Amino acid sequence: MFGLYFGDYLLERNIISQSQLEEVMKQQQTSRAKLGLIAVAEKLLTTKQAEELNELQKQKDSRFGDMAIEKGYLLKEEVNYLLNLQGNSYLKFVQTLTENNIMTMDQIESALENFKNENNFSDTELEALKSGDIDRIIPVFVDTNIPLAGECITLAIRNIIRFINNNIKLKKAYMTKEYKLDSIAYQQLIGDHELFVAFAGEDDALLKIASPFAKEEFESLDEDAFDSVCEFINCSNGLYASKLSTEDIHIDMTPPKFNKNKTLLTDGDIYVVPIVIDRKQSDLLVVVDHKVEIK
Amino acid sequence: MAKILIVDDSKTSRKILRNILEDSGHEVVGEAINGEEAVVKYKELQPDITTMDITMPVMDGLQALKEIMDTDKNAKVVMVTAAGQKTKMVDAIKYGAVEFLTKPFEAEQIIKIISKVLD
Repeated sequence: MFGLYFGDYLLERNIISQSQLEEVMKQQQTSRAKLGLIAVAEKLLTTKQAEELNELQKQKDSRFGDMAIEKGYLLKEEVNYLLNLQGNSYLKFVQTLTENNIMTMDQIESALENFKNENNFSDTELEALKSGDIDRIIPVFVDTNIPLAGECITLAIRNIIRFINNNIKLKKAYMTKEYKLDSIAYQQLIGDHELFVAFAGEDDALLKIASPFAKEEFESLDEDAFDSVCEFINCSNGLYASKLSTEDIHIDMTPPKFNKNKTLLTDGDIYVVPIVIDRKQSDLLVVVDHKVEIK
Repeated sequence: MAKILIVDDSKTSRKILRNILEDSGHEVVGEAINGEEAVVKYKELQPDITTMDITMPVMDGLQALKEIMDTDKNAKVVMVTAAGQKTKMVDAIKYGAVEFLTKPFEAEQIIKIISKVLD
């Protein structure tokens, strides 16, 4: 998942090409980061020490970690820590870049620093992105403390990963009172609170939700494809309603609907969360306890 | 094998459910897209089991359940709910629903519940 953020940054800055990014993304799905590279990235070994151990490994049938301990470069606990990091999405991305001689480690570190500064990410936020853990990534882009909306958005994003696509990229969420849309699938929830939950975007963006959910390749956003997006929203909201009921908050779903070429208006705030699925952006829209008009 | 009537306003859900039921050897004898249509089709098709979505336009699943049970007290109606519709589930039990299926659908859960209802 980190590659979707940092990779796109490298592409936008012309540091790597589209085809290089595609290749790296493809390869990193299957690769496992090397321990030496992780140790350097974690600053437990110098590049020189890692290279020395890599060379030794070519000559000797011994594991990298065991040799690092033997040489006195690492403690056993440090090797265990590094082994735990081996599935890390950031490290896999970095390894694929270096192994394909697209960038050196120094170039990556410098680009990463710029990526962090240009996006105003804090150290904690950058670590969250590197972790690939969606529960840590969501708060980087969404204010999860907004009553009801934060929880509803978090759950909807988790459900996208669960039912639609596990490689999504979030963009910074924002609030607005008016939202012009091409296509929208939405549902209103009523009861102790009133919520409006929708996915809006261009037709081909909503198809990125419709096709995987229905397990059917839709060619255009016709009634059936819209129905699939509506049903996804219905299921996601059902899980949300279920969670709220444990807090003694009761809401019920109304039948989902869809529409085209309209403007969404509210006297409250529309929380807009841009979600990129397979390079197409849809917006998750949530309004809590305010009237919504579709004109 | 059972003769099943699927009632759901969502075509996506009807299709997913139909595929799972047919793959496990059941016969889907009909589909209805709202409660009103469900009542008519129930009388016409006399299915062994009816799967009934709760949230539907025109007539919801609870009202349709009531009307079906009024005409056939032995009807086996399995309610289909999105999670989080506890109050409506309680009402459905009161009106005579025999079981519940929760969305999003999982094949294993559906097959298990349909077999249980048939027994």
